Amino acid sequence: MTDPRHTQPDAPPPVAPGTPPILQLQGICKYFPGVIANQDVSLDIAPGEIHALLGENGAGKSTLMNVVTGIYQPDGGEIILDGYGQSFAAPQDAIRAGIGMVHQHFKLVPAFTVAENIHLGWRETPFRASAKTLEARTRALSDRFGFSVRPDAIVADLSAGEQQRVEILRVLGRQARLLILDEPTAVLTPAETRDLFRALRAFRAQGNAVILISHKLDEVIDISDRISILRTGRNVGTYRTADCTAAGLATIMVGREIVRRDLRARAPGAAPIATTPVLSLRGATCRDPRGVETLRDVTLDLHGGEILGIAGVAGNGQRELTQVLTGMMPLSAGEILLDGTPAPLADPAAFARSGIGHIPEDRLRSGLAPSLDITDNMALREYDRPPIGRHGLYDRAAAARLASTIVEAAEVRVPDLATPIRNLSGGNQQRLVARREIRIASRVLVAAYPSRGLDIGAIATVLRYLTELRDQGVAVVLVSEDLEELLNVADRIGVLFHGRLMATIDAATADMETIGLLMGGRPAPSGSAHSGGQA
Amino acid sequence: MAGTLQRQPTVTPARRLAWRAGAIVTALAITTLFLALSGRDPRLLADLVVRSTVGSRFGLEDLALFLTPLLLTGAAVTVTGRIGVWNIGAEGQFYAGAIGATAIGLFLPGPSWLVLPLMAASGIACGMGWILVPALARAYAGVNEIITTLLLNFVAGLLTTYLAVGPWHDRVTGALASTGRLPVRIPEIWGVVHWGFPIALAIVLGLAWLTTRTSWGYQITVGGANEQAARYAGIPVRARILGVMLLSGGLAALAGMFEVAGTVHRLQGGLANNFGYFGIVVAVLARGSCLNVLPAALLMAFILNAGIVLQTQQLTGSAVLAITGLVLFMIAIADELAHYRPVTVRPVTPRPATRAEVRP
Repeated sequence: MTDPRHTQPDAPPPVAPGTPPILQLQGICKYFPGVIANQDVSLDIAPGEIHALLGENGAGKSTLMNVVTGIYQPDGGEIILDGYGQSFAAPQDAIRAGIGMVHQHFKLVPAFTVAENIHLGWRETPFRASAKTLEARTRALSDRFGFSVRPDAIVADLSAGEQQRVEILRVLGRQARLLILDEPTAVLTPAETRDLFRALRAFRAQGNAVILISHKLDEVIDISDRISILRTGRNVGTYRTADCTAAGLATIMVGREIVRRDLRARAPGAAPIATTPVLSLRGATCRDPRGVETLRDVTLDLHGGEILGIAGVAGNGQRELTQVLTGMMPLSAGEILLDGTPAPLADPAAFARSGIGHIPEDRLRSGLAPSLDITDNMALREYDRPPIGRHGLYDRAAAARLASTIVEAAEVRVPDLATPIRNLSGGNQQRLVARREIRIASRVLVAAYPSRGLDIGAIATVLRYLTELRDQGVAVVLVSEDLEELLNVADRIGVLFHGRLMATIDAATADMETIGLLMGGRPAPSGSAHSGGQA
Repeated sequence: MAGTLQRQPTVTPARRLAWRAGAIVTALAITTLFLALSGRDPRLLADLVVRSTVGSRFGLEDLALFLTPLLLTGAAVTVTGRIGVWNIGAEGQFYAGAIGATAIGLFLPGPSWLVLPLMAASGIACGMGWILVPALARAYAGVNEIITTLLLNFVAGLLTTYLAVGPWHDRVTGALASTGRLPVRIPEIWGVVHWGFPIALAIVLGLAWLTTRTSWGYQITVGGANEQAARYAGIPVRARILGVMLLSGGLAALAGMFEVAGTVHRLQGGLANNFGYFGIVVAVLARGSCLNVLPAALLMAFILNAGIVLQTQQLTGSAVLAITGLVLFMIAIADELAHYRPVTVRPVTPRPATRAEVRP
């Protein structure tokens, strides 16, 4: 543990020889019907370390953490805390033992304030829990751990980054010594990520430990001390981060070499970029219910056979732009042209029928009905057209055939088409949604953050879907937070800031600095190469 | 190591059915126990109940008469449940349907082949009218339908009583707190069982088809499962909520029309006999499937019929409610317990690979 990069005040504290690990897992096994989620996983978490857990979607990371936090009981193996064997019958036991987890999907009460959420179900909540007391206590916690929150804000009004800070404070307030974070940066802006990492290092400096589940190799190398990699439910190795490279980790993770190809290169015989736009916005403006402009005077043209990337810090009009382009949101000013003629007013079904597909940002909440089976979910876009819908009927057999076609194209293995779709992993859900939308996207595909929460293998698959579609002459809009992805895939990149399309630049000649400045609301610099990363 | 229970996310229908059968048996066992404790002979009572419900022609006829309104009110609550709406007002729409039908029956003379369909149409229109305001409020203003539909039940019940003892009171005999006997009646097909029974059966089967085999039904299912996804797919969720609620009101009202024109033959206070509320019980048991309404309504009809029998043995009428509650309670517990399976936690064995095949 003598990583030269960590010689700052936040460096890991010296640990006395013979100190037992905070958490030791020995031969943990966990099975679900038909699936081995974890098999013989052994892992040590030492005090004062940030331990990254890497693995593809479905590698068993979340299951393992659910075992550690008492949500699941292991089918075999032992959990040893500070040298003593433990078994958690319920999550409360794990919390009492000092293990706290922040989930990828937050478990907060949206209608409550930050202070109320932090004190909910906490032993130390004072009996006379006036709003003022709770807020003062929250402020104290916030100062102590360096996660700034507004105690009186309603959680529903907060950004994802702020909600995450509330979750973390909730856990830290309960005296957690081992903090488990599941994909913490998936919802964060780069600046929020930096703040989070600073706070995590401070937490580590007090002799606590962090388990960080992530897909982002650069981040993992940046922050962790050691890295364990899970593959198909097994721990395939624990490494000192100082000895690791991103390429090496990626190879171990997927168990094969990743081939990086220039995704902008057209396949031979690919459709050229169309000269006339298929979908255009002219001065498109949207207002939210409070009258605030969320999209301001956006004019852009989408051409068949090209990928338009949309960059920007989350919350700068991306959601509105995708909803306008897919017919889900009406414009308060301006117009939307489909093949040069005004499109029908905010009618998503009509947009879908005219060949505009939409991979929504939050697939589980708006792209799928989680409790319904795979068949019903796959029919969502085509239920009203033959062969499924005819004369007002819904042909279940035809829907099942469609579903198995999509499942096959997505290369997803499912036990049974009657399985509720919420039982599939996030990566598989995303693949299915992507294939479902690609089927109907004969002209335009709008993909909002399609690689969010996916592992490298799945991201490559989804991006390949997009480039294949582009080669078929479809106009693709790719909204993403990952600049590298945009630069690799997109032909042009538009940058959104405060609902305004700052500029649309050619991706082949664009550089990170220019885009970074535009994302921060500044006009592109003229030739100067100073100070990047303003985003 | 120790044995523990583990919750499974999904339950197979066979497993659920087995647990529910166990729940009903348990509820009956508890009922028997209490009857025995209160000094009655459970064997004698059980024998009596079976003989006078499924064991005799009169019992079966009564069962069918109970079943007819329960099928329709159960279906009424079930269809709204599919789009995520609770129609607690089937009782009120039942009364509205009975009032609408009675108005035609009393004041429009004519041959029954003409008057009966008019009564049905008028009743259904009144039932839909009764739910119209809650439906509009729910679909377009997001007003909670549970409260609005529930409160309108009391209005409809009191309106019925007012009409029966007031303006429409029977002036010929003057003895009953009811309207006069209707000049037309739904023809009987088997004893006292009238055509309403097969029609109700056919309607439930038709609804099962409508909700699972049509685009409209698919839209309802998606709208009920995730409203956001439905909007994303361009499904007009508000219009569907409105449509389903009107359908629901019409179904409950038709039950009221059948009751007044086929069974009771006059409008009187308390006519609905809690059939609207028992419809909620049926819907809860049916878990959103119109086909399941058939067995659920049969169980409910059996309990109601058994209750009548028990009352003839000097048991209080509240016993029926208690037994219904007990059955529901046990089934709710069984539905939850069906998710759990016992698993054994033990340290990893030298050959762990064999463990993977334990639960395929």
